[in-house]
Amino acid sequence: MKFIKNHLMFILPLMAILLGLEFYLVFDRTTDSYEKGLKEGYTMLVVTKKPMELAAFQALNAHISSSEKIKRKNIVSEIAKGVSAGSRKEILAALPYFYNVGLDSYMHTSRLEKIKNDLEADKNIKKVETFGSSYSSAYRLFSFIKFTLKLFIGFMAVVSLFLIIKQMEIWKYAHKERMQVMEIFGAPLMLRSGVLFKVATADAFIATLLTSAIFLYIKFQWAANSGIDIMMQKQEELFRLGDMGILLGSALLIVIIAVYSVVYSSKGVQE
Amino acid sequence: MSNVISASHLTLAYDNGAKEIIKDASFNIKKGEFVFITGPSGSGKSTLLKSLYGQIRPKEGNLVVGGLDLANAKQSKLQELRTHMGIIFQDYKLVNEWTVAKNVVLPLMIAGYSVDVQNTQAHRLLKHVKLAEHADKFPLELSGGEQQRVGVARALAKNPVVILADEPTGNLDEYSSNVIWDLMENACQQLETTVLVVTHKIPTIFSLPYRHFIIESKGVYEVH
Repeated sequence: MKFIKNHLMFILPLMAILLGLEFYLVFDRTTDSYEKGLKEGYTMLVVTKKPMELAAFQALNAHISSSEKIKRKNIVSEIAKGVSAGSRKEILAALPYFYNVGLDSYMHTSRLEKIKNDLEADKNIKKVETFGSSYSSAYRLFSFIKFTLKLFIGFMAVVSLFLIIKQMEIWKYAHKERMQVMEIFGAPLMLRSGVLFKVATADAFIATLLTSAIFLYIKFQWAANSGIDIMMQKQEELFRLGDMGILLGSALLIVIIAVYSVVYSSKGVQE
Repeated sequence: MSNVISASHLTLAYDNGAKEIIKDASFNIKKGEFVFITGPSGSGKSTLLKSLYGQIRPKEGNLVVGGLDLANAKQSKLQELRTHMGIIFQDYKLVNEWTVAKNVVLPLMIAGYSVDVQNTQAHRLLKHVKLAEHADKFPLELSGGEQQRVGVARALAKNPVVILADEPTGNLDEYSSNVIWDLMENACQQLETTVLVVTHKIPTIFSLPYRHFIIESKGVYEVH
């Protein structure tokens, strides 16, 4: 019972850190594609006196990645219904040029304003509409969710680290006597810490496997049967095989730091 | 015969050199000698012993053990030196979660001997200290005298060049103490091991020729 308890006291906080890390990886991947969608879905409207090429827009601001001309004939057909063909020509001639201008990333509204100012500084550009209010609320909500999750993961990691440090103190107490006796008789560091390494490495593997199992369950059972569109669409992003390597690497790194902290703090013969 | 231990104007201190325990001590101990170090409580007997296995480094002077200058030795060299020493403590310092047999072969384990050799040697050593039937027990299942015999067996495991013993019979009754002295006498006589014992009192039953040092007022003096 004590044996199981000792292992769980290390495995559980380690799992909490790994879960936090995996949540971060999953969130980063899913928000990346969401961010991409937002970016691709967003364009600002630019009204010009004369036709403008993409390069001309990019010369005004480097963040502009695309420009699409809106067909003026379509606009005229909408606003000049029942007007004679001659008058239509006159309207068309008087009408400015309209462009949907896309950006290279999803950015804060202050940067949108900067782009707007850059464009409006050109004499050929009559008007720029950024649709700032709807863009801003979407951006703020997205940023808030992202920040909150990162904060939660960070908090969880800190609490878990404290639990691991606590467990290290228990290990230190449990293994100190043996390590000191071995040190007196000339055992090198690796031999002194061998048992501790074996135990901690086994715990790191167990924590990695359990964390992976939880995410595999989420991916193949929960998400697949959840009926939630976004979950089903993003199922592939939920857990990748490479994540297991990242989790194991992180767990082993924590183990190495933890074991060496115990070994070094147990140096010297007890008086 | 060559010196196994050589101290010259040795000063030992605690608290980063502020508290001197031994001052300007000089002595030589040769191979195969049996040496007692006595002195009142707190005089620095154990401190001197600790310095001999590198637990405390000299503040001043030279201390050479087994050809290694302990004032300047690297940690790895110090570790190597310790593998040629047998150290016996008043509180035994056995690993309580290990069996008696595993405790005894610790020096062999550190030296990288095979499990077969370790098992054979464990049996031989435990038979030598008359504890063969206790091989699979744990230290806390044994009496104090028996635990110290395990400690002696461990110290003898690798035929050490030198045995350092800190009050080895301090916690034992007369019978157990006599058994321990017998074992150490045998080691010195038969294996030509240098034995250095820190004790309050030299045992009356002791039969071997020995040298006696006394520590007084921070000095180490030989009693003739």
